[in-house]
Amino acid sequence: MLHMPVDVIATFNVQGKIKPNYIRLEDENHLLHTYKIENIIFSKEEKYGGIPVILFCCNIVREDCAQLIHIKYYVKSHQWVLVKERF
Amino acid sequence: MDKVIFHIDVNSAFLSWEAVYRLHIRGEKRDLREIPSAVAGDVKKRHGIILAKSIPAKKYGVRTGDTISDALKLCPNLIMVPPHYDLYEECSKALIEILKEFSPCVEQYSVDEAFCDMTGTVGLYGSALVAANLMKDRIYNELGFTVNIGISSNKILAKMASDFKKPNLVHTLFPEEIEKKMWKLPVEELFFVGSATKRKLHSLGIHTIGQLAKTDLDILRAHFKKHGEVIYSFANGIDSSIVQDQAPPNKGYGNSTTIAFDVDDGSTAKMVLLSLAEKVCSRLRGDSVMASVVAVSIVDIYFRRSSHQMLLISPTNITNEIHKAACQLFDELWDQTPIRQLGIHTSKIVEEDSEKQINLFDMNRYEKLSKLDAAVDRIRERYGEDSIIRAIFLNGPIYHMSGGISPEKRKPKYKEGIM
Repeated sequence: MLHMPVDVIATFNVQGKIKPNYIRLEDENHLLHTYKIENIIFSKEEKYGGIPVILFCCNIVREDCAQLIHIKYYVKSHQWVLVKERF
Repeated sequence: MDKVIFHIDVNSAFLSWEAVYRLHIRGEKRDLREIPSAVAGDVKKRHGIILAKSIPAKKYGVRTGDTISDALKLCPNLIMVPPHYDLYEECSKALIEILKEFSPCVEQYSVDEAFCDMTGTVGLYGSALVAANLMKDRIYNELGFTVNIGISSNKILAKMASDFKKPNLVHTLFPEEIEKKMWKLPVEELFFVGSATKRKLHSLGIHTIGQLAKTDLDILRAHFKKHGEVIYSFANGIDSSIVQDQAPPNKGYGNSTTIAFDVDDGSTAKMVLLSLAEKVCSRLRGDSVMASVVAVSIVDIYFRRSSHQMLLISPTNITNEIHKAACQLFDELWDQTPIRQLGIHTSKIVEEDSEKQINLFDMNRYEKLSKLDAAVDRIRERYGEDSIIRAIFLNGPIYHMSGGISPEKRKPKYKEGIM
């Protein structure tokens, strides 16, 4: 169970606020699907180990269900990762 | 006003930092701090010692500095992780940043320790204990790792206090408390008392810090000279040094390296010296200083140390010049016994713009070499240290800029996942 790097389309506003808009995820058959991020429930800045990260909790619609996902933006490396649910 | 000094010490720094990284940045499930684990160097490169251990590992008797094989004998299921110096730098920087929000005067003592002068800050964050707990909790909540904080009216007592029960605790050790909290401790726990001092003190019948504090100062002076005065003062909680937030300029620049194989021929040794000279001189040029004294040190396969130094005609920071001096010193010093570790150390440091006595015959060569070094520095600054290397190192066994933290220790090769 590790954080998985993903492709994301995001917008930046004049104040430098980041908003993820679309995310591309791979399904069980290894096909890529682009999902629209319906809404952002909250965002939180973290700095564990001195590494600045912005955590977003958002909803996407997948197979007619609203699914909650957590994605993180690593500020210094400009990467986005999907936080996989721990079972 | 009474002084209030804090000493902040990260608990099991390298191990805790790696634990936080794996938990929060890589998303791994287990917390290294909760299992017997340690940060250890690479056995194959002859760096196989324990650099940091977790609290569960400590219970098995594993100590920092033990060899990996010794540690595994004590704890066979010890989980070991490689060093990650880039991460440690980031964690250290983030820690100091938070401390600077609490105190106007922060002295970084090492990568995982710092002193804060909190005198007069009662109005900002409350009394010392309240502020220290706030600091400790802020560090844990924001950065994810725990620290111990020692509080007192001077640096030595604050440093001793932070070493009491761990982890994640605040301790005070004000002068009125030293009899109760410090004097019962064994004498080797006192700052500046090492194994040699400890042995001598034991032979004098001094086993606790309290006994040391009450010993006649003349006796201590007779056996330890100046050092005796220092340990006497510390045992009595006397320390007048201030928290310095500006580091004093370096008095010497040196680098050494333990080579992965035994070196038994002069030309390979001189290659290692060249890579050390590259490293030392780039640091000298980076700080705009030059050195006049060059020393070479050798540790052979029997762990015997020897060194030899010389004074240069004029100060320099040119790689070729320092290397030439180092090779001359090496030829005069080496007795042909195979070598394990080599070092170059420079001292008698002066600012770069001081006068240089140019030898009449070397004049052109000096200017050319100086420009070459400057150009190489600029390329490395822009494109990375490895973007330009001296041809002799191509396909060779030796890294082109030895010494300090080698590239493999900066970032471990994680088997899968990100970063």
